[in-house]
Amino acid sequence: MLISPGETAQARLIYKGAEAEIYLQDWQGELAVRKSRIPKPYRVPELDESIRRMRTAHEANMMHEVRKLGVPVPAIHHIDPESMTLIMDYVRGPTLKEELSTLSMSKRRERCNSLGNILGMMHEGGIVHGDMTISNVLSEDGKLFMIDFGLGDFSGEIEDMGVDLLLLNRAMKSTHYSFHAVLFNAFLKGYAKSVGKRRAGEIQQKMHEIEKRGRYFERG
Amino acid sequence: MAAIVLYCLGIESTAHTFGASVVSDSGRILSDSRDVYASAPGKGIHPREAAEHHSELAARVISDSLKRSGVKASKLAGVGVSLGPGLGPCLRVGATVARSISAFFGLPLVPVNHAIGHIEIGILTTGAKDPLVVLVSGGHTAIAAFSGGRWRIFGETEDITIGNLYDMFAREIDLPSPAGPQIEKLAGKSSKFLTLPYVVKGNDVSYSGLLTASLAKFRSGAVLEDVCYSMQEVSCSMLAEAVERSLAYTGKKEILLTGGVAANRTLKGKLEAVAGLHDAVCHVVDSAYTGDCGAQIAWTAMLALQAGLATSADEALVRPKWRLEDVDIPWRDSAS
Repeated sequence: MLISPGETAQARLIYKGAEAEIYLQDWQGELAVRKSRIPKPYRVPELDESIRRMRTAHEANMMHEVRKLGVPVPAIHHIDPESMTLIMDYVRGPTLKEELSTLSMSKRRERCNSLGNILGMMHEGGIVHGDMTISNVLSEDGKLFMIDFGLGDFSGEIEDMGVDLLLLNRAMKSTHYSFHAVLFNAFLKGYAKSVGKRRAGEIQQKMHEIEKRGRYFERG
Repeated sequence: MAAIVLYCLGIESTAHTFGASVVSDSGRILSDSRDVYASAPGKGIHPREAAEHHSELAARVISDSLKRSGVKASKLAGVGVSLGPGLGPCLRVGATVARSISAFFGLPLVPVNHAIGHIEIGILTTGAKDPLVVLVSGGHTAIAAFSGGRWRIFGETEDITIGNLYDMFAREIDLPSPAGPQIEKLAGKSSKFLTLPYVVKGNDVSYSGLLTASLAKFRSGAVLEDVCYSMQEVSCSMLAEAVERSLAYTGKKEILLTGGVAANRTLKGKLEAVAGLHDAVCHVVDSAYTGDCGAQIAWTAMLALQAGLATSADEALVRPKWRLEDVDIPWRDSAS
């Protein structure tokens, strides 16, 4: 069946994230994902609206740019800044976070290695993700797709790339603490393949620096 | 025959507060005495001066705490002391005093991480089971959850803490201390929102840009109340968003707000809203124990003592940079 943009009759809520609700719906005869950024009661309305509108448009733009770099992302079909909604391809697969729990150690390394590869491609292309966790990567039969670019940005700053690595390392540590070092090392290998060994080392160094900064803050 | 009740003394001296408290093994807080070093207006904590304050007040605060509890020092099961994180000179006062008490009365000495103390007193006073912890103070802005025997960090500040944001803003424009309540009071008089930088990176926040922009707004003639209102709105909303992201990521059904800035009603309201969006409950530490206190140390020491974590005096060295995620917590079961 065909439904028009914004029509929600057949939509089914499949995920409620922190920022958005994800619906599965028909889009011109194909199953598609609708991502709607919902109002947040903990932000004053003027702040809330500007954040949601900006991130919706920004996310679409980022995904378009990232795609040009050869990084797999779901294709965007429709943007509606007024209802803060994006319609995009439905990727059939679990998040990398979920998948990692079920895989053998060598498969885990393989996945993290390819993640390193594609994040490296992004960074080399001057784009940072800004919310780099293993929940924001989908695995469709082993092929990884990056999602959730609302906090992404154009940046050649080593600091911003360091933040991506920090967020990812922490996500691995907090969910898969018994083997996170294996995951992150495999990631770094793939990452170094894309950005070069020296550069990868510099960015990893920056990651440690940022991590230390935010810990206990000495008042004085 | 009645079961034997254990009592533990706890000593806190990480920053501006010198505190002492006695708790029982059932979690009853029998006393919680403290004295707070007041820094000069427009100035931050001077570590050496704060340490001098602590040295002068230590004996009085501890004997007050013992007297109020009605427990004799010789009847204690142990003495806990917060060895970090904190300011070196301040920490050394607490450590020295605790070592002496331990040696004199022959009591086990229990090292306590100050941040873990904030978490444990929050859990004790709210009955939280398996919460996503939001620890906010001058020293911390961190989001943590328990798994695999430790508190794991899910989000935090990438530069200054929320407590620091308020302290530094207040100090720069000579507001009287304590800064948090002052800013909250001024903010309450305005509802005019000024645009200020809102920076969330994943589950992390960054407040240094907000501090600079808030000061610049005020200095270019904006009304102080409006600046305070907007700065408080933006800082608390940023943290609320980071908490919501962590809540979605971990799937936890409880939030526990603890630490000095937990007294801020705006932050409390926003985290309650976050909890409401995810069918979760928001617990807030008992208002008597938001700030640094002996009770947080005494209670954590009691838990640690029962798990067999006492140490010898010469091993009880201060650890100014002791990270909360480096502390093994054998007394708590992982829910996941």
